[in-house]
Amino acid sequence: MLNINKTVENNTAAVSLEGRLDTVTAPELEKALMELIPDLTELKLDFTDLDYISSAGLRVLLAAQKAMNKQGSMTLTHVNEAVMEILEVTGFTDILTIR
Amino acid sequence: MKIIKGIKIGGLQQKIFNLMLFFLIALIGAFLAISAYQQKNLTRTVQDANDRQQKSIEAVSEETMLAVLNSTMTQTTELQAYIADDLFSQVRSDVLTLQTFATELFTHSESFNDHPIEPPSAQNDGTPTAQLIHEQGVDPSQSQTLGLVAHMSEIMVAMYESTNTISSVYVATADGNMVLVNDRPGTFIGDDGAVLTLDIRHRPWYTQAVEAGELIFTGVEMDAYTSTPMLVCAAPVYDGGKLVAVVAADIYLTSINDYVAGKASEGSFVCVINGSGQMLFSPKQEGSFRVELAADAPDLRESKNQQLAAFVRSAMEANTGLRLVEVDGESYYMCGAPMKTVGWTAVSVVDREITRQPTTALLSNYDRINGEALSTFEDGAKNSVRTLVVLLSVICLLAIGAALLIASKVVRPIEHMTKRINALSGSDGVFEMEPIYRTKDEIEVLAESFATLSKRTRDYITQITQITAEKERISTELSLATKIQASMLPSIFPPYPDRPEFDLFASMDPAKEVGGDFYDFFLVDDDHLCVVIADVSGKGVPAALFMMASKIILQSCAMLGQQPAEILTKTNEAICSNNPESMFVTAWVGILEISTGKLTAANAGHEYPILKAPNGDFEVYKDRHGLVIGGMAGLRYRQYELTMEPGSKLFLYTDGVPEATDAKQQLFGLDRTVAALNEAKNETPRQTLKTVRRKVDEFVEDAEQFDDLTMLCLEYKGKE
Repeated sequence: MLNINKTVENNTAAVSLEGRLDTVTAPELEKALMELIPDLTELKLDFTDLDYISSAGLRVLLAAQKAMNKQGSMTLTHVNEAVMEILEVTGFTDILTIR
Repeated sequence: MKIIKGIKIGGLQQKIFNLMLFFLIALIGAFLAISAYQQKNLTRTVQDANDRQQKSIEAVSEETMLAVLNSTMTQTTELQAYIADDLFSQVRSDVLTLQTFATELFTHSESFNDHPIEPPSAQNDGTPTAQLIHEQGVDPSQSQTLGLVAHMSEIMVAMYESTNTISSVYVATADGNMVLVNDRPGTFIGDDGAVLTLDIRHRPWYTQAVEAGELIFTGVEMDAYTSTPMLVCAAPVYDGGKLVAVVAADIYLTSINDYVAGKASEGSFVCVINGSGQMLFSPKQEGSFRVELAADAPDLRESKNQQLAAFVRSAMEANTGLRLVEVDGESYYMCGAPMKTVGWTAVSVVDREITRQPTTALLSNYDRINGEALSTFEDGAKNSVRTLVVLLSVICLLAIGAALLIASKVVRPIEHMTKRINALSGSDGVFEMEPIYRTKDEIEVLAESFATLSKRTRDYITQITQITAEKERISTELSLATKIQASMLPSIFPPYPDRPEFDLFASMDPAKEVGGDFYDFFLVDDDHLCVVIADVSGKGVPAALFMMASKIILQSCAMLGQQPAEILTKTNEAICSNNPESMFVTAWVGILEISTGKLTAANAGHEYPILKAPNGDFEVYKDRHGLVIGGMAGLRYRQYELTMEPGSKLFLYTDGVPEATDAKQQLFGLDRTVAALNEAKNETPRQTLKTVRRKVDEFVEDAEQFDDLTMLCLEYKGKE
């Protein structure tokens, strides 16, 4: 289960995720982000309520990061310990902007 | 719905039939009820009219009868009274004449010699004769007045002959002798031939006349000799204030008696009541109208019957006119008129029933006619009921037939349809429109819908068959792919039976047919064993394809004798060069120098390896991490070195192990993984993996797993 809350203001989008980002839910986020990204210069992802992220979820983050690299910036906020551990293990902390 | 003898019980046909039957019965019931009510009403009306007519006839008839009766009876009664009275007034005048004559005789007695008078002689029977009668013990020859009154003989004989109402006329002297005139002298002769004596001065007429001092009528009494009912009119004769004689006449009442008897007819009669209220003449033998001649006979004026008493009292006074009087339980119309001379009253009586006879006759006649009319009417009514019943039966039969026909007409297409539908077996049959469904109603619509549905279903079946075939093909291909993928991974254990320096076991369980995880190991040269474990992002065929490419590139690089960091860097370059889908793969690559136990490894975003020292426990080894392969081009990976003492073990795994999830969404986690490993830390790699697998299975129970589960365990034994 994943709830995606989006607020778009000018070219800035704030997306907060709630639940598990795994094989089943990742396509939903991918679809939502790919719709937003073409018009964005700034993408803020709020991971406060994100419990788990799988490799499928990481792929979406990677794709989004690659896309945003070309037109602006992407930041992750409020990443909890469990998710942060996964990000560290997979080396994603090196390419993502985490605050 | 049961079928009995070809008729469906509870089917549509029967329902329609039932409905029609119900309405029909209700209709007939209502019709019959109304008919019965109307007929009853009509009968009552006829009977009511009949009753009213009867009453009216009765009333009119009785009124008319009464009017007629009143006028005729009043008149006749008056007449009868008058006639009867006339009889008495004649006698009265005769007796008064004799009284005057006798008074004259005594006044001038000195001028007359004795007139002879003979005793009665039977020879004179039939001839009016004057006869001498005397009291016992009286000697007629000694009488001073007998000779004088005997002068009246001729006049008395003349008087006797002039009328037939007087049965005897006589004059009695105060000394007990009597001159009597009639034509029956023989009656005074006894059986012994002697003349009978008469107790003259004690006879009622004598005593009553003397007592009254004037003319009297006695009550009715029996004749001393003939025992015939009669009454006597008598008057005293005085000479110088002294009683000297009594003159009298007997009136035979047979004439009145006969008259009364003659007047009597069925239901009507005439009677006479005297001044004392006693019944003198009546044809009745019993009841209140019977004749009572005794002196103490009941006075009708004092009768317990108040109506009768009042009637008799008023009849003594004046003509009563017609009155209805109840006597002895019967109703009588009565009319009374007084007889002035004697102070009696004549009463005409008519039984009320008689007056009703014409009415009754009329009514019975009317009843008969009416009865005939009524029975004709009832017959007609019965006939019409029978006709009605027959008519209704015919209607019923026709309606039932019609109901069955309509029901079968409605039901037949449906039955046909059911048969056709039941015959549709398998996927080849199609329901098609037929003329029988062209009913231009809901059945036609239903049939059309069904035909459309049937066609569509058939199309679907065809489509599904195709899809299924396609799916089966894909499935076959996938299972083939599974086999190919599995065969790509080294699967013979122990892999190097001739190398006792190390033991190695690995397993890969894809969550789907094909997985994105893989492990690999190969000898780069005699002294170097390369071990790889990797996890491609995503699952299924895309992951499998990506995994195949990654595996080949990795192996190729490794076989070139390069170091782990170089292998990862090269592989990353190769994959990033053409990766529009942003697929990536985490990989851990290690090269073990078999002779020394030196392990050189590099980690591209993969899970931490878990290491066990020869006499220690398994522990997570947090190594240096690089980004996943395919994440970003141009990355340089770093490698690290460590030494495996003989007896050391290395456990590698993909995230399927720590991220195995139970029904409560709890992760198996690294701690449980390490605990499971330590439970089997002294076992062979094969047993170690088995134990971990068992622990994971126990943890997740029946919860479905979405991740591939891949493990590899390497035990370094060193040179023995």
